[in-house]
Amino acid sequence: MNDGIKRLHQLREKSKEGGGKERIKRQHDAGKLTASERIELLLDPDTFQEFDAYVTHRIHDFGMEKRKILGDGVVTGWGKINGRPTYVFSQDFTAFGGTLSMAHAEKICKIMDMALKGGIPIIGLNDSGGARIQEGVVSLAGYAEVFWRNVQASGVIPQISAVMGPCAGGAVYSPALTDFVFMVNKTSYMFITGPDVVRAVTHEDVSFDGLGGARVHAEKSGVAHFIADSDEECIDEIRRFFDYLPLNNMEDPPRIRSTDDAERMDEELNHIVPENPNQPYEMKEIIERVFDRESFLEVQRLYAQNIIVGFARLDGRVVGIVAQQPSVLAGCLDIDASIKGARFVRFCDAFNIPIIVFEDVPGFLPGISQEHGGIIKHGAKLLYALCEATVPRITVITRKSYGGAYCVLSSKQIRGDLNFAWPSAEIAVMGPEGAINIIYRREIASSKNPEKMREELVEEYRKKFANPYVAAARGYIDDVIEPKETRPKLIKGLELIENKRDKLPPKKHGNIPL
Amino acid sequence: MKRPFKKVLIANRGEIALRIIRGCHEMGMKAVAVYSEADRESLHVYRADEAYNIGPAPAEQSYLDTETIIETAKKAGCDAIHPGYGFLAESADFAQRCLDEGIVFIGPGPEAMRAMGDKTLARKKVSKAGVPTIPGINRGLNSVESMKNCAREIGYPVLIKAALGGGGKGMRVCNNEDDLNASYELCKKEAQSSFGSPKLYLEKYIDKPRHIEFQILADDYGNTIHLGERECSIQRRHQKLIEESPSTAIDERLRSEMGEAAVAAAKSVGYTNAGTIEFLLDGDKNFYFLEMNTRLQVEHPVTEMITGIDLVGEQFRIAKGMKMMLDQKKIRINGHSIECRIYAEDPESDFMPSCGKIEILREPAGPWVRVDSGVYQGYEVAVYYDPIIAKLIVWAEDRMTAINRMHRALSEYIITGIKTTIDFHRSVMKDERFRRGDINTHFIDETERRDRKYTSTEKKAAAIVAALFYHENNQERVDDKALNRISPWKLAGRRESLD
Repeated sequence: MNDGIKRLHQLREKSKEGGGKERIKRQHDAGKLTASERIELLLDPDTFQEFDAYVTHRIHDFGMEKRKILGDGVVTGWGKINGRPTYVFSQDFTAFGGTLSMAHAEKICKIMDMALKGGIPIIGLNDSGGARIQEGVVSLAGYAEVFWRNVQASGVIPQISAVMGPCAGGAVYSPALTDFVFMVNKTSYMFITGPDVVRAVTHEDVSFDGLGGARVHAEKSGVAHFIADSDEECIDEIRRFFDYLPLNNMEDPPRIRSTDDAERMDEELNHIVPENPNQPYEMKEIIERVFDRESFLEVQRLYAQNIIVGFARLDGRVVGIVAQQPSVLAGCLDIDASIKGARFVRFCDAFNIPIIVFEDVPGFLPGISQEHGGIIKHGAKLLYALCEATVPRITVITRKSYGGAYCVLSSKQIRGDLNFAWPSAEIAVMGPEGAINIIYRREIASSKNPEKMREELVEEYRKKFANPYVAAARGYIDDVIEPKETRPKLIKGLELIENKRDKLPPKKHGNIPL
Repeated sequence: MKRPFKKVLIANRGEIALRIIRGCHEMGMKAVAVYSEADRESLHVYRADEAYNIGPAPAEQSYLDTETIIETAKKAGCDAIHPGYGFLAESADFAQRCLDEGIVFIGPGPEAMRAMGDKTLARKKVSKAGVPTIPGINRGLNSVESMKNCAREIGYPVLIKAALGGGGKGMRVCNNEDDLNASYELCKKEAQSSFGSPKLYLEKYIDKPRHIEFQILADDYGNTIHLGERECSIQRRHQKLIEESPSTAIDERLRSEMGEAAVAAAKSVGYTNAGTIEFLLDGDKNFYFLEMNTRLQVEHPVTEMITGIDLVGEQFRIAKGMKMMLDQKKIRINGHSIECRIYAEDPESDFMPSCGKIEILREPAGPWVRVDSGVYQGYEVAVYYDPIIAKLIVWAEDRMTAINRMHRALSEYIITGIKTTIDFHRSVMKDERFRRGDINTHFIDETERRDRKYTSTEKKAAAIVAALFYHENNQERVDDKALNRISPWKLAGRRESLD
């Protein structure tokens, strides 16, 4: 071996050491994997191609000129997940605490630029102490360069972030700008200002985990879309999730040869919706039975559980599901549910993923906190997102479709492509009780037996209006289907509208009510 | 009389059609194939110089349809027809039709075929010529009652056969009257469907005989010779599976004795062209004339291998009216040859036919290995015809070497997609009784079906292959290119929406 090659081999070995054995041990003791180990798990075996392994920082203050680590705290490159390419960067907490220097930022920016040019997704594994203080404002410039690229790439290539360690201050905004955020329980946290500052300013006492742990962001803030209990589990989830995404906004998500029968009918579906319209049921059971077996991948499972969003497959084709959950808040739309649904719909629309809506919504959630919290503008987000979506859309009304919620949830009038209703559907301007109270207010009040009269009128209204046929008579519903037929109907429908062409008027961008 | 011909229609299919096409080409003649709807993609269609569709899949409407075949021969300008084996090969009427139409029928004359085709008649004739026959009933049998009377006369067990048949179809052993009652109608039906006549024939059943047959050749000039014997005792349900020559049961003296009987039998009906005299040989080396097959046999290659004589070539020459260059003294039996019939059948489930697409086909090769095959990789084996798909023939200087060579060749033979008899043949090649030459027609029934014992390495390898196969085939792959083509319409819409 000649000297040149020998030197290369030595450097390669050295670059793998990161911050050294001692720090790697500490990383492991903290229950975390190193940057390289994570990449190895994330990508198909032997597919990782590293860039910039020999990059070092250019800081000359605070003695930093003597402390250089090959790679400068981040591993970047590309590889494959189940045969499809992705760019990846993985911050190395063992090297300078994974802090972001300009050199570090440049490495990330390089692959972001390549990803955007190549139409290939990017996955960021974040584990960083934040800005490289020694570098000062240059480090901030590095962040800003990354943020700007996040926004340029938004809607063009899927961007996935996993927060697998600390992520505080300005650093949170890169994950926040990407499409999906994964977090690991106990070992990761995200916040703008840490517990110490919080204590000083608001006198609130809170732990790191309590302030910005995975659980908090998954349940309360909705910042995290997926959480896992370990690095391994988190990376497994990313790999599974990746299979539902297209490489870019010109491609379709990958279709697979489904092993589930496209004609499969499920008798059980006929019995899920209870006779009593006020009794809840589990919408996820319907989803599990209709879509390809075990294909449902729920997004933001713990946040705003009155709406269900997620990906699944229909005869191998990826679809996005938006569904109400009658067993949580009766499936009412509230602020969080509207935001959750809207963001998901916009992702699907940006990345050519057809949207399937399962609708059972009694209306928007009433209450002071909702009104004061701005349900008007937040609810408008979901309406806006669905009106704007040009991807194929199919709606299945399983039960209630009342009032404004009828309009919002992909009605024919906001250009739903195919709208089906189950026989249990109730499509009307409002529920029977409310309608009767308004229409017959005077008659009921003047009646000898108001309760009895109300009951009779409610019953009459229910018979006449609380069904799918009034809407169907107008063509607002394309077909009333037996619940068990839902799967074949959806598959055939999707096949029909798969190549749909639709466009919005030319504009710089719309003005979604934020 | 010289009967020159230059273009031969082959009224057959599969491997034998291929064999004859090759024979034609070697002699500078054109070969014309005919095919049924089911055989549109068959190998013989591709290998022939011309090919004509002669009707739907059922043989009665295609390969057995005399009129269409004669018509096709005329249309294609054929001056001869080779019938192969099976189908019309032993139809005297067909041979007569050819004669009437002035088309050379490559085979014996219709009279000889008629004489030998009717087992009762055949037996009488050869018996008169001094050839020993099986104690049997030389009378037509028209009812189950007359059948019973005859059976009583010769004593059970008895064998019922189709009077016009051969090859095991329509045959049944009856050990008593009950068996006979049960078999009579079935035999009649099978005889009718397979050979076009319900006439039956009854004979003494010889227990555990060997099936020995002699190849004969006879020309128009009174020259009749035999080319030695073929041992065809490895059978199941009277269908041959493995043939070899020479037989371990036959020495030089017995060979010439039986050979002379065979020649006498052929001469007794004025036989010409290639034919086969079948004998049963009992444990005491008594032989009985069984029947004559008035055609080329499936197993003719083993004779070709040990004598060096091209039987199809000889058939052509004799049919052309040429005088045989061979005489009995020049015939030398050299070495040993074995043939294994490769059937699309599953030996594990009682040789049930196994149809389907041949996914992988790798044929053996190497010294003294001959493969007469009628199929190719990707070929769809259909249900309509005889399940034989190929014959594997080897030659060696002695029997043991031939058996080892056959085993080696079978080990190279790979057919997937359908079940075949390849592994079964391998186990026979390793069977001690077979290797000793201790065989009779009950060999397969008597040989306990030993499932091959697999070594732990083989089991592991199989498990790995199975797992890989499952993985490859059942994986819901996201990088499946075929499924992920985007419609140009959709793409155009997508671009539009970005403008």
